[in-house]
Amino acid sequence: MAGSHSIDSSTEQRHSRSWATPRLAGFCLAAAAITLLAGLIQVSFGSYSMTITEAWQSVFDPSILFDAAVWNAFLLGGELPEMANTRLIVWNIRLPRVLVAVLTGATLGVSGAIFQAVTRNELASPYILGVSSGAGLAVLLTLVVFSGLAPFLPLVAAAGGTIAFALVYAIAWKGGTSPVRLVLAGVIVGTVFQSLQTGVFFFADDLGVVQSAIAWTTGSLTGTDWEQVRLAILPAAASIVLALLGARQLNVLLLGERTAQSLGMRVERVRFLLSGVAILAASTAIAVAGIVGFVGLIVPHVVRNVVGGDYRRLMVGSIFAGPALMVVADVGARLGMSFLPGFGPIQVPVGVVTGLIGGPYFLYLMRRQQQMGEI
Amino acid sequence: MSEQAPDDPAERGAVREWLTDAEGAKIESEIVAEDLDLRYPTSEEAVVECDRLDVPEGEVTALVGPNGSGKSTLLKALSNHLEPESGTVTLDGQDIQTFEQSELAREMGVLSQENESPGSITVEDLAYHGRYPHRGFFESVGPEDHEAVDDAIEMAGVDHLRDTEVGQLSGGQKQLAWIAMVLAQDTDVLLLDEPTTFLDLHHQFRVLETVRQLNEREDVTVAVVLHDIAQAARFADNLVAMREGELYDWGPPREVVTEQLLADVFGVEARVEYEPELQILPKRALSE
Repeated sequence: MAGSHSIDSSTEQRHSRSWATPRLAGFCLAAAAITLLAGLIQVSFGSYSMTITEAWQSVFDPSILFDAAVWNAFLLGGELPEMANTRLIVWNIRLPRVLVAVLTGATLGVSGAIFQAVTRNELASPYILGVSSGAGLAVLLTLVVFSGLAPFLPLVAAAGGTIAFALVYAIAWKGGTSPVRLVLAGVIVGTVFQSLQTGVFFFADDLGVVQSAIAWTTGSLTGTDWEQVRLAILPAAASIVLALLGARQLNVLLLGERTAQSLGMRVERVRFLLSGVAILAASTAIAVAGIVGFVGLIVPHVVRNVVGGDYRRLMVGSIFAGPALMVVADVGARLGMSFLPGFGPIQVPVGVVTGLIGGPYFLYLMRRQQQMGEI
Repeated sequence: MSEQAPDDPAERGAVREWLTDAEGAKIESEIVAEDLDLRYPTSEEAVVECDRLDVPEGEVTALVGPNGSGKSTLLKALSNHLEPESGTVTLDGQDIQTFEQSELAREMGVLSQENESPGSITVEDLAYHGRYPHRGFFESVGPEDHEAVDDAIEMAGVDHLRDTEVGQLSGGQKQLAWIAMVLAQDTDVLLLDEPTTFLDLHHQFRVLETVRQLNEREDVTVAVVLHDIAQAARFADNLVAMREGELYDWGPPREVVTEQLLADVFGVEARVEYEPELQILPKRALSE
């Protein structure tokens, strides 16, 4: 698989069977460059004005990059050493938001890629199996009813998504599952939870609570800092590694359940475990950014169109393309409104921007592709 | 041996206890199915009932019958894709339900009737998937895998299509690519569900010749569902004729194929000639 690839490259060369094509490498480089550029824009602008040179010098300031105490503060939550104002703004306020965007983009991309294979439907998203509605309901209940749980909101949201997923699986199970049954069960659970969500809104008597709930259910990176990075980095890393390891299983799963079984795969088990990895990834994103739509749907799509359907390539591509989309969208969410006359520095939830990018993209696909749906 | 459908008159002679070859020696069966009662979760009644079915080792056995006679269902049970309501299927004397999934996949290759794959993978990629049961979770492809895939691609005659995407292939070429995948699986037993249906004549022959070659060269046991009885009679060592979910008759083509069988099982009036070689000349459909 991914990790073992370099080991057997010599034998693979005989067959010129390397899955890591130049096209994939080029795609990943381009995505990384976009991520970096958008990230630098993000750290350079904002209500505290500084010059671009100042901002970029702060990012690449060796005295911070190589200071163990600083990293201890960022990654382990220790005491932050004294630093200049610009440095502080860049490193403690703007940069973590970019990093959270990177982590959410990567996890959502990976999660969407897995769900599209598991359901054999390229219109599937990380939220297709009830995750978003479960997480959304959990958030609303926390904000409106169980306000004592508010400090644990990220975890509650992730738990809500996971519970909804378990429910979907239980409903779909009838001596086994199938992609269609899973999707249908996802629709059932989603519909019911959505209604409950709307119902709970009526009990909110505070506009602030409603706004906070909307920010959660559309997905927002406003106010994220190193705490969110600390929360997300380990589960994100774990789910990405597991997704890369599962890429070959996904390839075989895409040959159809019967063929996969004939080839010796325990289809139900593999499908459940891979869904679990995808849920872990999606929950990680939800916990730090709320329910950001469209990223998990579009990213695997774009990657598939460029590097093809082999999941070893698709997975690697998604890990690079997800952050690119997410960071760019967040630049739009944070800075976009200030370019519109009459608004000033208002931030919108990043989910609004991803939706605005996602809709037209699918319109374009619909016009261009003959067939959409089954992989 | 031949288990006969209960309503079948004894005209085909006494029930044979064991299958014997031309010299009268007993032939070992690779797969034996006994007292099968097969039904789908949605159906109340049995789709297939069968007292005993043998798939002799190193031979080609064809399951024939009209649409809906249960031949594909029976094949699903033989390949452990359908758990029998009652009865057992054994492979080399061991109940197939007791096999580990990957262990079974190293013994038995199965090609389903309809196969879909992502269109963007190449023929070679597809063939490499056949090595799945031979590789551990963290194992990468080794020289053995390369060799098996090369052999399979060559035997299926798709060498020139190696780097072509499966989505670009014609129906016949696609089928050969899938055959290459099951061949790469390198099993002793091969079960094929209607591998020639929907193919043009050229590719029908290509598929059957590949299977025949495999059987002769590597002594692979083959069970194959075919809906064309004339094709089955020419191609197989044994025929299993099915009608309405039951075994109608079983044995070498020359014994099984009769005008009576064609009328009873397929509902056609036909003339059967045995000399110089077995030939079926269908004339017209009989009224139900």
